[in-house]
Amino acid sequence: MDNISGEFALVISGHSLAHALEADMEAELLMTACACKAVICCRVTPMQKALVVELIKKHKKAVTLAIGDGANDVSMIKSAHIGVGISGQEGIQAVLASDYSFAQFRFLQRLLLVHGRWSYLRMCRFLCYFFYKNFAFTMVHFWFGFFCGFSAQTVYDQYFITLYNILYTSLPVLAMGIFDQDVPDRRSLEYPKLYEPGQLNLLFNKREFFICISQGIYTSLVLFFVPYAVLSNASQDTAEPLADYQTFAVTTATALVIVVSVQIALDTGYWTIINHVFVWGSLGLFFSIMLAMHSQTLFSSSPNQFHFVGSAQSTLLQPVVWLTIALATVICIVPVLAFRFLKLDLKPQLSDTVRYTQLVRQKKRKAVCFSGGAGVRGAAGSTSEGRLGARGGSRRSGYAFAHQEGFGELITSGKNMRLSSLALASFASRHSSSWIDTLRKKKHSHTPTPPGAASGDSSPAPSCVSGSAAPPLSNSPSVLGGSQDAAIEEEEARTPPPSPLQAKPGSSTSHARPPSTTLLAASESTQGPSTGGGPGDTAPSAQGESGGWTLSLGAVQEALSNWRSLGVRSSSPGPPSL
Amino acid sequence: MMASGYNAKEEDGHHSGAPGNGGAGAVKSKKPDNTAFKQQRLPAWQPILTAGTVLPAFFVIGLIFIPIGIGLFVTSNNIKEFEIDYTGIEASSPCYNCAQNYSWNSTSSCTCKVPFTLEQPFESNVFMYYGLSNFYQNHRRYVKSRDDSQLNGDLTSLKSPSKECDPYRTSDGLPIGLPIAPCGAIANSLFNDTLELYHLSNGTRTAVVLMKKGIAWWTDKHVKFRNPGGNDNLTLAFQGTSKPVNWRTPVFELDPNDPDNNGFINEDFIVWMRTAALPTFRKLYRIIQKKVDAPTLASGKYELEVSYNYPVRSFDGRKRVILSTISWMGGKNPFLGIAYITVGSVCFFLAVVLLIIHHKYDNRCSSADIPN
Repeated sequence: MDNISGEFALVISGHSLAHALEADMEAELLMTACACKAVICCRVTPMQKALVVELIKKHKKAVTLAIGDGANDVSMIKSAHIGVGISGQEGIQAVLASDYSFAQFRFLQRLLLVHGRWSYLRMCRFLCYFFYKNFAFTMVHFWFGFFCGFSAQTVYDQYFITLYNILYTSLPVLAMGIFDQDVPDRRSLEYPKLYEPGQLNLLFNKREFFICISQGIYTSLVLFFVPYAVLSNASQDTAEPLADYQTFAVTTATALVIVVSVQIALDTGYWTIINHVFVWGSLGLFFSIMLAMHSQTLFSSSPNQFHFVGSAQSTLLQPVVWLTIALATVICIVPVLAFRFLKLDLKPQLSDTVRYTQLVRQKKRKAVCFSGGAGVRGAAGSTSEGRLGARGGSRRSGYAFAHQEGFGELITSGKNMRLSSLALASFASRHSSSWIDTLRKKKHSHTPTPPGAASGDSSPAPSCVSGSAAPPLSNSPSVLGGSQDAAIEEEEARTPPPSPLQAKPGSSTSHARPPSTTLLAASESTQGPSTGGGPGDTAPSAQGESGGWTLSLGAVQEALSNWRSLGVRSSSPGPPSL
Repeated sequence: MMASGYNAKEEDGHHSGAPGNGGAGAVKSKKPDNTAFKQQRLPAWQPILTAGTVLPAFFVIGLIFIPIGIGLFVTSNNIKEFEIDYTGIEASSPCYNCAQNYSWNSTSSCTCKVPFTLEQPFESNVFMYYGLSNFYQNHRRYVKSRDDSQLNGDLTSLKSPSKECDPYRTSDGLPIGLPIAPCGAIANSLFNDTLELYHLSNGTRTAVVLMKKGIAWWTDKHVKFRNPGGNDNLTLAFQGTSKPVNWRTPVFELDPNDPDNNGFINEDFIVWMRTAALPTFRKLYRIIQKKVDAPTLASGKYELEVSYNYPVRSFDGRKRVILSTISWMGGKNPFLGIAYITVGSVCFFLAVVLLIIHHKYDNRCSSADIPN
């Protein structure tokens, strides 16, 4: 079942679903449903909605999302991994049960492609950095153990240990976790393929975790052994040796804070003013708190607590200490920079490419604006952006659970298959609802149809425009009265040229849509060549006999298979299917 | 409920009840604020690692580090240093007897004389250090074992030292012993060898003048360590306390001739109390002032006279004396210079390699390559 090409949809009603969800049938249902592009379950009970979600959750390694707006959707929302509630017409029951809620279905696209993606990115970067900085901080004690008789003597001052994770390094990473963006939101919508790393778990898995940890351990090695090697025989310019415990502690602590700050500066991809304040502010906070703690005032209040008096002031004035810190920083950061640069250069991910082009475009636009008289060009640039954006933001409706009667009737009636609407009209007329009749009458009054082809102009689903004066393909008499062969002939005469489809890109839409609308588009464009043939045809009586139903069904199936292949051939570049 | 004034077919964003019908009561809009902060539109700088930023940065680092390294290396090479190990492990060493015959309760100290020769004269101030090896002044129990408020001259702590000083808190021999001043293991293990230098020239043995003050940190000497009750009459101040277990004399007899160097503010004591970070360390002992018209230490024969009081054989320790000159970067430190030169060249080399790789494999795609 996995190598099914072509696009199918499964429409299953509540009654059938009740059978399909039985224990012996559910595997079949799962297999079939997952082979389809879209599954529409109509007239289902709330319990069945939840059962379908749970079926997927149980057997497939996928994250499920359920979106609904009514109280009947609550069980489904609760059982999915991510529940989204729509607040609005049906009340706020769904909202109260959901993880996310918003007002319109179309916001789902933004939720997933923009906010979901950013959230995943931020979380992964945050985690990676957190492990790194804590390993860099703690492993220094491990190396020091070899030189202090494994007596668990700390390298740093006790107050530094307390405040490191609270004050000195928490704010920058918090800012990164809140504000970071790799590509702007418009680009996220424009290139949905950027969503892939989240689905494939690429940004934080065992491998990435291992890399973070190793980086932390390497940093701790450098942070201990460089001061060890430099300070063990060094002295101040007043000849007091620098190898005392307090100088060593201050040097190592300063080097650590500087190195992890440089690392967060490298990790942050989106520097808002808050990021700047937090990063530079944390560094400043470190120095000010350290100098305050090592001051004489605090010492005089409690000598046993603040016995580091005078260390920071004495240590940080030595050139050797700063040279040590600079050396340690460079040794820690240069490999990281080199690796990242090589990765960006040789194997850029899609997000890197998008980011790069975005920045290049920004620069070009700035340059163009600066060169004067480029207000127009600038605007043109932005409109092209707008157009691109608009193309990416096309509205798609993907309702899975229909609860309103109107459309369901329509879909099952086959009304919108214009090829044989004449024949089907007879079938449909049995179930005609007033709404459809009204539409039919409206159409009838607008278009100049050949006599008797009243029902032939039944306009299909409202969103499509049937502006052409030519009567539709369906007017060919062969469908109804003629032989099956003739019918096939007629259709084939009309289906081959794919050029009309391509010539009217506006009317053809993505083929991820339910087949009905694809048919719709195709039928519209094939009106072109059929224009000549249309009016000449004698229109048979619209009131078809029920006998014509079997024939028309076969014709429909033929049409389906032909149009599908047409669609595949003409592969217009729509947004990739989700 | 939101249903008031709500249109079934409304599709475009104005879903709040209030704006349309102004008088329908104050139905607050649930729409989030359209501020830059809440809509994540804050203006931001988005750095990107391009070849134009990374490669010049590497080149610059390389170009800065290499000259610094060379400067450091040259400076370090100009510093003169001389080391004499006088532990007395080998039988041929002058201090062998003193090392072997050491006993804790000997009243007279053993002296040994270690001869050495200086090839080059030492100019400017010369600093004399004593160095110890395999001595773990950074052991956690050892580092804790002190009472900083007692050392700061606090009278309460003088008479009742902190519990951290155990077992060197009160003197033995009495059920409730006298408090020890200064308490703790660090103070108890004070280095008490006496080292003297003699210059042997033309058959005469002249003592080199050694300054014993100016060897401690300023904050230590003037802020951290204070004598209880001022610097005068220390005997009275320390009445009711006992000397540390392994000391020969009590603390107020460390330097009776100089009240500014006696008691807790004795500079040798202060230098010792500043614990070292590593098991092999050196501490400043004496300063030899520079002479006006002659080198501070002329080249020639010298003799180091040691009053051997400090036992290190039991833990395989080593004792040594280091004579060194000083520059702006401190003492002799070849590691720093070499490390800078190495890191600078590695950076430079890396920059060249990355440049080559970048040119060969540059496939930074334009926007046309992005799948649309």
